[in-house]
Amino acid sequence: MRKKIILFMSFILICTFFLSFGQVKAESEQTIRIWVGAIPEEKQVMEEIADDFTQETGIKVEIYQKLEIFTVPSALVNNAELDERPDIVYMQAPDIGGLVESGYLQSLNLEAEFINRFTDVAFDAFTYNNKIYGIGYSNSTYGLIYNKDLISTNNLPKTWEQLFNLADELTLRSEEGNIIRRGIYINATDMWFNYPLIRKYGGYYYGKYPNGEYNSYDIGLDNEGMLEYVRKIKDLKSQGLVLNNPNKKDYSEIISDFCDEKVAMFFYGLWSAQAFNNANIDYGIAPLPENSKPLTTVEGFVINKYTKNLQESIDFMQYIFRDENQQKLIEAGNRYEEKTGERNPTNLAVINSDYIQSDEILKNISKIGQNVEPFPNIPEGPLWYNQDVTYSTFKTIFFGDRNGNAVDSEYKLHELANYIKKNVSFMNDPIEYIEIPSQLYIFGLLGITGLLGLFLFLKFKRKSKVIKKKYNKKEQFLAFILLLPIIILLGMFYIYPIIHNIYLSLTDYSGINLRDFGFIGLANYKQIFSEEVNGLLQMVLWTIIFAFSVIFLSFIFGTLLASILEKTNAKIAKIYRLIYILPWVIPTVITLLMWKGFLETEGGLINHLIGLIGIPNISWLTTPVMAKISTILVMVWFSFPYYMVVAFGFLKSIPKDYYEAARMDGASRMYMFIKITLPLIFQAILPMLIMGFVMQLNQFGVYMLTQGGPASDRLGNPGATDLLITYVFNTAFNTKRYALAASYSVIIFIFVAIFALTIMKINNKKVEG
Amino acid sequence: MKRKSQKDNVIIQILLFLLAIITLFPFAYILMIALGKNVISVNTLIPREFTLANFNKLLTNTAFSNWMTNSFIIAFSTMVISVILVSITIYVFSRLRFYWKDKLFNIILLIQIFPLTLSMVSIFKIFVELGLLNKIPGLIIINSTLASSGLIMLAKGYFDRIPYELDEAAMIDGASRIQILLKITLPLAKPMLAIVAIQSFIIAYNEYTIASAVMTTNVESLPLAVGLQSIITGQYGINWSLYCAGAVMGSIPMIILFYSLQKYFIGGLTEGGVKT
Repeated sequence: MRKKIILFMSFILICTFFLSFGQVKAESEQTIRIWVGAIPEEKQVMEEIADDFTQETGIKVEIYQKLEIFTVPSALVNNAELDERPDIVYMQAPDIGGLVESGYLQSLNLEAEFINRFTDVAFDAFTYNNKIYGIGYSNSTYGLIYNKDLISTNNLPKTWEQLFNLADELTLRSEEGNIIRRGIYINATDMWFNYPLIRKYGGYYYGKYPNGEYNSYDIGLDNEGMLEYVRKIKDLKSQGLVLNNPNKKDYSEIISDFCDEKVAMFFYGLWSAQAFNNANIDYGIAPLPENSKPLTTVEGFVINKYTKNLQESIDFMQYIFRDENQQKLIEAGNRYEEKTGERNPTNLAVINSDYIQSDEILKNISKIGQNVEPFPNIPEGPLWYNQDVTYSTFKTIFFGDRNGNAVDSEYKLHELANYIKKNVSFMNDPIEYIEIPSQLYIFGLLGITGLLGLFLFLKFKRKSKVIKKKYNKKEQFLAFILLLPIIILLGMFYIYPIIHNIYLSLTDYSGINLRDFGFIGLANYKQIFSEEVNGLLQMVLWTIIFAFSVIFLSFIFGTLLASILEKTNAKIAKIYRLIYILPWVIPTVITLLMWKGFLETEGGLINHLIGLIGIPNISWLTTPVMAKISTILVMVWFSFPYYMVVAFGFLKSIPKDYYEAARMDGASRMYMFIKITLPLIFQAILPMLIMGFVMQLNQFGVYMLTQGGPASDRLGNPGATDLLITYVFNTAFNTKRYALAASYSVIIFIFVAIFALTIMKINNKKVEG
Repeated sequence: MKRKSQKDNVIIQILLFLLAIITLFPFAYILMIALGKNVISVNTLIPREFTLANFNKLLTNTAFSNWMTNSFIIAFSTMVISVILVSITIYVFSRLRFYWKDKLFNIILLIQIFPLTLSMVSIFKIFVELGLLNKIPGLIIINSTLASSGLIMLAKGYFDRIPYELDEAAMIDGASRIQILLKITLPLAKPMLAIVAIQSFIIAYNEYTIASAVMTTNVESLPLAVGLQSIITGQYGINWSLYCAGAVMGSIPMIILFYSLQKYFIGGLTEGGVKT
């Protein structure tokens, strides 16, 4: 009894230990830390600049390189108050809104003399609520990429009409009517590069109030102008100038056609300049017609609000933005003589320097960079440019729904705008507090006492039947000590998160509420069960079917292979085994991406190969049913080797006389496999199969393969291959509603736990019986 | 009768061969892209030119060697810790008798069904509180937890098959528990330990989600899976060749480890143990 109490107490202790752990103390520091971008040359120059700064002022600077600028905001949030906190951070302007709202950024007071040395967008992009929170350093934007062999620089279109006429002229068709060269090539599902065109027809990003602030409830996507834009794109599509591959989100196909001189113009930036150069294409970049402003993402430096060295950080920031240092940084950022166009300066002295002006491409992009529309930095920004949502809307508008039927564009645009509006109001409207009903407490209490009663009753019953086992005290103690490490680890990384998740699910913790989030009762659960219950049921069903199919097929397939290999020549079998096991050994991240590429409908390798034997294209990942099948098959490809290895071990323990006897009766090999091998192996590895099943319920690889797609025809519903876990991850990631995601995970936990418990109960009964 | 089985054999051989090709295909393809020059999309059938420049660029232009070292340290430490942890835990569950034994075992198994991907926010908090954020030991600890708790079930099945009579016999001869574990039980469980070792190495080496979230400050301290991923998610020029070159090089330690340990477990899980 005492042991039991000790065990229980230590469990509680572990839990409370982690719940109540105080804030880590911070000490004052003398050095400032700066996070810089991914270009190695630039980092090197930054180190030199930091050295100069240290010599001048005596303040030490530490430099950290960040590879993925997309992950910087969350990294800042997570490190902002730690001992190793960054003081100055390089990030994208559109990310600052949420950070400012949550209080992570320091506003800056800049003198007019300083401001005048940069293009306006350097500060506009970092202005939030009329305060400047950062300084733009580079301005990633785009224009009209054109092939100079086909279009001379003097001949560039001045108006949109001229542009489309020119495109028409440059389009070449073969006698059969196939297009050999396109004057312009447009990706209809994209909104970023087509934005100037959208704007021309009257669509827009969030509207603005007269005072210049964004009105996030005014979504300019369902007005008359947008319909006209849709008509225009449809018109271009009928001329064959629109990428006829609805499943292609990126520009790789257009880029590779441009490199093959099959495209004269398209809207893009310098992201693939290297590919153009490698293909020896004489290309140019020009401003868009009629002075249309392209969107831009400004990258620049901000200051952590929690810095301990505010004045020093501001000084260093000013130091970085001195003209001569900007010059050095920009040159390094463009990799010196390579002039890759990766950094487009905001500093006027740099723009006018010889380095930029002597290169036509850099000169033009810097010119475009002075007439741009910065991507809104309000927290709602990503809702508008949520690729999944806009992409699937435009895909249905231009290419029909999942069954290929045409849809009403007006209806779809309204649906899109309303969906965005709904998410905007989720973000802004105060969430209604929903009291946890008192009945729930009573029910909960009753339930727990009921369970306890049942437990004691069963125990009592068992005690009366079975003689109470005697445990050796020393042995008990030893067991407890030896199990302590694993119990602590599990408590830390499994039990605590579950409790923490339950807690989070009752709050309004989200991307804009990172610090002062509050208790909102059951509001999250209410939303799931009132508005999203259909999607939830659909996902639960698919998750079970998926996990079951994967495990079932892997098991049959693995066992079959093992038993075939056991009977073939030992040496050959060994080689085969070594080959078959490979999918298990190579990092899945890599092979999943490969599979994703292979299974593409247009230009995917598998369709290419089956095309050689005359089979028409199959939409592996883009129609709901096929996507489901492909997902299952790819996951089987990953997991069958494991079952093969395991089955192989157990095969040897099956007594030979079973087979002898069956053979005497004239049973075929297949018959023996099904009647003897499968059941025996199944029994032996059932625990592993159950474990595997549970693991598949949480198979995250699906996310990398399909992102849960193809998307549902109704916006906001889960996609066809969305497992519970991928959907929740998406929710958390795209809309940053962490509390909602936490509520989902609590539901998932309950769901999986019930499932696993039931299976185990059945299993135990079987073993006992 | 004999003829028929010969014909069957030929068909089986052909099927085995085809399957081997399907399995090998993606890897051969990765290798080809790694050697290709200027590959823009994954679906380039055959690159126009072959070159070793990608490997060179990978080693000079990125922090690849750092990532590789990090991953190796993480995976190797995880492997050692997991083997020890699993051995101890399984020994307790399989050989000692104590109160709540079955329940505790079930709890350990059940608790893992909660996907760690969904508890990132909480894991983060723990890392911050314990000062493990951005540190490699943090990753080693969480990977060890992940690996050993997942492998306990597999290992217990094997351990239970080693007859207890051996222990009893040794105990009568006056051997201590530790001696029995080290000299008798563990050597008999070698194939199982090999599986635990390689599985935990794979888990730690491949782990992406947690690592990408908790290693937040410096490029040089990333593990391989995260570092490689950043090559293709980077904004400028998705470089498939570079990525695949990294994938090829990154797979080498796994393949070496795998093939050096394979004799232990591919020969059969039950070998060496006593048949049940």
